[in-house]
Order: sequence, then C-alpha cells, then structure tokens
Amino acid sequence: MVVNSLSFLWFFLAVMVVYYLCQNRKELQNIVLLIASYWFYSQVDIRMAILLLVLTLVFWLLGKGIGVAFDKDDNRRASILVNIGVAIGIGALFYFKYLNFFMDSIIAFAGLFDLHLSWTAMKLIVPVGLSFFTFKLMSYVLDIYHGKIAPEKDIVSFTNYIAFFPTILSGPIDRPKPFLKQLTVARIFNPDNLMNGFRRILWGMFLKMCIADRLDIYVSAIWNNYEHHSSISIIFASLLYPLQMYADFCGYSEMAIGVALILGFKVAENFKRPFFTINIANYWSRWHMSLTSWLTDYVFMPLNIKLRDWGTNGTIAAIMLNMAFIGMWHGAEWTFFLFGIYHGLWYIPLMISGQFFKKTKIKVNSHGWPTAPFVAKMAGNYLVVTFGLMLFHSKNISEFWAILCRIPEAWNGSLFFDMPTLVNGAICSIALIYVDIQEEWFPNKKIYLPSFAERWRWELTIALEIVAILLFGIFDSNQFIYFQF
Amino acid sequence: MERNEILSRVEEIFREELELDELTLTDETTADDVEEWDSLSHIQLVVALEKAFGIKFTSREILSWENIGDLISCIQSKI
Repeated sequence: MVVNSLSFLWFFLAVMVVYYLCQNRKELQNIVLLIASYWFYSQVDIRMAILLLVLTLVFWLLGKGIGVAFDKDDNRRASILVNIGVAIGIGALFYFKYLNFFMDSIIAFAGLFDLHLSWTAMKLIVPVGLSFFTFKLMSYVLDIYHGKIAPEKDIVSFTNYIAFFPTILSGPIDRPKPFLKQLTVARIFNPDNLMNGFRRILWGMFLKMCIADRLDIYVSAIWNNYEHHSSISIIFASLLYPLQMYADFCGYSEMAIGVALILGFKVAENFKRPFFTINIANYWSRWHMSLTSWLTDYVFMPLNIKLRDWGTNGTIAAIMLNMAFIGMWHGAEWTFFLFGIYHGLWYIPLMISGQFFKKTKIKVNSHGWPTAPFVAKMAGNYLVVTFGLMLFHSKNISEFWAILCRIPEAWNGSLFFDMPTLVNGAICSIALIYVDIQEEWFPNKKIYLPSFAERWRWELTIALEIVAILLFGIFDSNQFIYFQF
Repeated sequence: MERNEILSRVEEIFREELELDELTLTDETTADDVEEWDSLSHIQLVVALEKAFGIKFTSREILSWENIGDLISCIQSKI
C-alpha cells in the first residue's frame, strides 16, 4: 500500500476515526494504533509481520533482562545481553540482505586463487523496512545499556514504537525515548495538527508526484539506455538525479511526518535543504538526518571514542568505517560500498585542514543572499554529490564504469530533449527551489510575494499544490526509491 | 577535590577547547545549550579532560552523560 494511494487514504481515514473516538483512553488508543500498524504491515506479507512481532518480543525481553542485570549490579550480564541484541539485529540484516552477496564475493575471491567453491543463492524475501526497524530495535537495547532510558514496561507501547505504520516502511528512524514518551499521554484531536499534517502530506505528494516521478521519466530514459545517448544527455541526467532523489525521499518523509502529526506524534525530521551546503560533512548533516544521526550515535561515536588516542587518524578511521556502513546499509552491492567510501574520502581533507571540527556559516550579502564564493562552493558540493549518486544509481560497477567511459566518447550527439517532461519538471523544481531558498535564508521575511498573497499565503499554497498535483502529477506512480532498502 | 573546583576546571577546559571565552557551565548544562559542543568536539573535550585530570573514562561512561552534572560526578568518582 503506497502512502499516496487511494487505498491508503481509506485505511487512514478509518484508523483516524476509531483512534480519535477513543481519545480519552490512551491504552485503548495505543491498541487501535497497534492493530492498524500490524494490519498495514501484514498487507505487504503476513510472514514479515510475524517476523517483526517475534523480533519485537525478543528485544523487549532483552531490554527487560538488561534492566534486571543493572538492578543486581551485574554489568557483565547486561553487557552480554546488549551484545546478543546487537548480534540479532545485525544477524537479521546480514541474513536477509547480505548473505548471498557475501557468499558470491567469497566464491569470486576464491576463484582468483583457482579455488572452485559453490553456493546456491538462497531465494530470500527481504522484509520491507528491515533496515529501518532493526535500527530501532538495536537503539532500544543500546539506550538501556547506556542508561539513557529505562526498559519499557508496557509491551503495547514498545510494539507500537517498532511497528508505527507511518514510518515502518522507510523511516524516519525514531529514537525510543522521544517516541515512547508520546505514547504515555492520550492524543487529543487537535485541528492544528490536522492542518499542519495535511500541509506536509500535500507538500510531500507534490515533491513525489510532480518532481520525483516526472524527473524519473527523463533520467531513466537516459540511464537505462546510456549506450544510445550523448555525453551531454548523460551529464544532464546525472545532474538531475540528486534532485530526483531529494524530491522522492524528502517527499516520502514529508508524507510520513504529516500522517504521524495528524495522529498526534512528532517524529524525527529527515531533510534540511541538503544542497545548500558547502562540503560533504554539512551535506550529510542535512540528508537522511534520522539515519546519519543514528549512525553518528551508535557507530561513529563509539568508534571515535575507542580510537580517541590516535587523534585525527582515529577520527578518519571512524569516519571511513561509518561511511562504508552508510553505503552498505543501502544494499548488498559493491556500488553502495564504494558510494560510502567515496564520501568518506571527501571527509579526509576537511579533517586535515581542521574545517571538519569548525562550523562554517555561509556568508550573506546586505540583501540576505549568500555571497558568490559560497554559491560557487555549494555548486561544487552539488557536483561532488552528483558523482557519488552516479555510483548509487548504477546497477553494478561494470554499468557505472560503462557510463563513465561513454561520457568522453559521445560528445558529437545533441541533448536529448523531452519537452513536456522537462518543462513540467522545471516548473515544479523551481517551486521547490523557491521554497527552500525562502526557508533557508528568509525564514521571517517572505520574498517577492505581493501583500494579498502574504495574507492568504497558506490557502494559496494549498490551492497551488492541489492544482500542480492535478496538472503535473504522475498518477501511475513508481514506488518510492527508499522502499527497497 | 571539591565538586565546585572540578566544575571550574572543566569550565576552563571547555572554554579553551571550544574557543568560547564567555562560556558558563552549570550541572544542568547539556550539549543542546552549547552550539559548538557536538559529537566531534565532545571527543576532543574527553581527551582534554582525561589529560587534565590524569584519568581514563570507559566508552559506556562517555556515552551515558546527559549533562555537565553527570560528567562532574564521573570525574569525582575517579580522582
């Protein structure tokens, strides 16, 4: 069930009515939410829902066990239990996502030494959202172990945290403490939440249907047939891909955040205008924020602490491992691994020059716009991101290499011009860029808006978004790119 | 060493490492209150504190501090 589909709308309306009918009894409200979440998730595959439930129960018990161990001052037992939790989480990810890849890689490596091993690839269905909910499960036991939270007593609340339907498929990845706290109070119907949630859903639909799916027509046409396209078309499609990815995943996140808000939940944010950044470290602090902050807290920080006596070299090692982890999190392909390493390498000059440890603010001129050198740096950073996403976009290393080789070979051809797609995509992308500029540099002053538009700003925005979706939206939509992870 | 004494030494180290001459710390100060105190500068601070007090923190201790008060208590338990 896709979030921007009619079937989801009916499901959500039904849940909302029942959910707010029990708004005076938070226990009942939590049960309604739990049934809704499991019904939603079982629509994908009932076996996956069972796996989710089993994993949830195991981690709930582990959390309890760690709490009991600390009560008895048995730190060793707590440490064993938290390690079991991490091993189960990573083990589940490894089994479903990486086992075939790992075995194929070993066989290929052994082949280099004339060792002929064999392995029949297992046909595994990867549970949807696995990479997202295993991270939530692991952060729960790790937070208990680090004394940040107490084990959750209420199993319904804990199960709700893991299976919360607006975010189960692709995040944002919420942390246990802020989410569980919201389940302890009744969520009373609030018209402001309804309005703000609706606005975010609409904005997400606009990003997904008018920009991401529109640009996808052009980008895929070139990417899937690169051998017939000119260098200039391949470069242009590659430059559009970061924008497509942003609109796709930010669009999804906006919808998930909006749906959660209507149900009275504030969930983690995922994007903060990531292209208005001047280096790769800034970029990752604003792109898929709930994942990067998770990895910062549970991978980078512990590694950096362990390696702290190595100084900058320790931080470089921690970053490289962290970025390799980010890459592989996306899937079992060498392209993803290289995608992570590529980004890691861009951190090294920042660390050596000391820029990594200092916050650089983008300078603005007297009118509030960023100055030319900073605009140039942002453009440069966009190119760095684009090259990384070319790796990300390629099915495998050979395809990536073939596309790269095609670029210097086909300068004679002209730009592939798909007029309706590019014009529609351009109109909507300009609207996105306008909104992002507004929020980044003029949050308190509305730029270039006549006074009547200022007064009716939200009403006009909603009307424009609906018109844009009807006029430019793609309705036989693709899945969201991040559903595969 | 008295708690107040530790606090003033910690404050001195924070001012030096974060280059914030005016910084004032209390038991309740958290990383959210000081913009420059992020996951990276945190490690630099840890290294500087270990050196200054001649102690070594465990990973679990470093990851469990919620505010300056927790940090001071941890230092106090080690000296």
